[in-house]
Amino acid sequence: MSSEPVIGEPEIAALVRERLPDIPFEASETKTYADLRVAPEHFLALVTGLRDDAELSFDLLRNIVALDMEEAGLEAKYQLYSFPHGHALQITVPAPIPSCELPSLTGLYPAANWHEREAAEMVGLVFTGHPDPRNLLLEEDLRIHPLRKAHPLQKAEILQGIEDGPPGVEV
Amino acid sequence: MSIWPEERVAAADSDLDTVDMTVNVGPQHPATHGVFRMVLTVDGELVVGCEPYIGYLHRGLEKLSENADYRQAMGWWDRTDYLAGMCCEGAYTMAVERLAGIEVPERADYIRVIMMELSRINSHFMFLGAFGADVGSFGTSFVYAWRERERIYDLFEEVAGDRMFPTYFRIGGVTMDLPDNFESRCRWVLGSIKQGLEDMDGLLTGNEVFVERCRGLTPVTPEQAIAWGFTGPMLRATGVPWDIRKAEPYSVYPQIDFEIPVGVQGDVFDRFHVRLAECYQSVRIIEQCLEQMPEGRVLAPKLPKTLRINDGELYMPTEGTKGEYGVYLMAQGGTNPYRAKLRSPSFCNLSALTELVVGSYVADAIIILGSLDIVLGEVDK
Repeated sequence: MSSEPVIGEPEIAALVRERLPDIPFEASETKTYADLRVAPEHFLALVTGLRDDAELSFDLLRNIVALDMEEAGLEAKYQLYSFPHGHALQITVPAPIPSCELPSLTGLYPAANWHEREAAEMVGLVFTGHPDPRNLLLEEDLRIHPLRKAHPLQKAEILQGIEDGPPGVEV
Repeated sequence: MSIWPEERVAAADSDLDTVDMTVNVGPQHPATHGVFRMVLTVDGELVVGCEPYIGYLHRGLEKLSENADYRQAMGWWDRTDYLAGMCCEGAYTMAVERLAGIEVPERADYIRVIMMELSRINSHFMFLGAFGADVGSFGTSFVYAWRERERIYDLFEEVAGDRMFPTYFRIGGVTMDLPDNFESRCRWVLGSIKQGLEDMDGLLTGNEVFVERCRGLTPVTPEQAIAWGFTGPMLRATGVPWDIRKAEPYSVYPQIDFEIPVGVQGDVFDRFHVRLAECYQSVRIIEQCLEQMPEGRVLAPKLPKTLRINDGELYMPTEGTKGEYGVYLMAQGGTNPYRAKLRSPSFCNLSALTELVVGSYVADAIIILGSLDIVLGEVDK
């Protein structure tokens, strides 16, 4: 007996392509959900379509994962869920280099607020249009991005006043 | 100011300028249930602004997990939702197993479900006790809750050797089989839990003052709840019957019969009542597991000494005690995950605190915060 969750639908990417034909994306599979990789310029249109289309209606933003992919720059992954249809998917957006700017989803999903603040401080993404872009978990005046791969893991750090540089500049 | 009520009313009616006051609550304050701080702006007794501050318990779970072996990281995940350590272990191990394609023996799955549901009861008892104290039953609800929690912790100690952070689950199963007298001990604890729930129900739901304080306080509609990212009892209190154990089932939950308790209007009383009702369902789940549990091994055979996982990623949602406890893992070969991320339910539920609290009275703000049932280890990661 495996702990194999029955998750998502493999045909969800085909459904999105059918309902939103104008938006180019690359579909792939993760171990649980379908993953749609979209360019930053089409990101907001895709998410708006996913939320507002009656056949899709992804109304819950579950989670935002910010990643430092080293040479490939920063990435953000969004996990969405649809209550009316019970399907789920993941969106991957690479952030443009060197600005690291992505549009904020707080206008579409109020739940994005804290997720984006966390993603911004942890890896240095910049969410344009975010109403409150302060640090959330870290000290307010700290400008380090601990989840960047270049940031060392040390036994103890004295961090006050140390700056890694302004957010989003070095990748 | 005058001591005569009529003159006071007259003074209040005049266009006297009043100044809003700022009240700091926390981070060291019994009503915040942990190291959480909120700054309330109050106009008399009315809350007109609320600014939550978190991060006092931030331990860098994600960075540590990325720098540790898949198995070593277990101990960190235990300590996120520290009231239900087994649920966190379950979510993390299931995510790693699915990423690595490891099969778990059926007996281990049943043992895990028993442990996760006992943890859920444990966490909900913490809520019931602390929330009762928030509303004003002072120590009684706390003592009632602690009686049952202590018995559950004793059972954990017998099974795993530790109370709060047992690290009992392993990737591929559980550390060791249950002790011989487990079934009778567990049934005795379940009987005690049922009695505890009856007592708690009588003490709180049967108390008119308690019900009057809670009913109708900050009702939340299903649309608001979904927009704010509520999951778990917070969402179910609004009447949405959504539970990941049913919606996206994992482990052996599909073979078990249980119901999803829901509320009506999503107010503070419904949040309390959904959690109370969930404890009864958890007892039902454990009783069925005890009957259905097969004999056999509890750890998958031929597990590698060092776990290396090739490329892959996944987001694994589970029903934690506070809501959707999701684990995101990305592997790029090697013994460590390239990226580990926790989707913490308390974090998402807490993010709507300002919207919930503004417009209520100061005394009610404490109750509303209590009704969110946050655990700061999970909020701050």
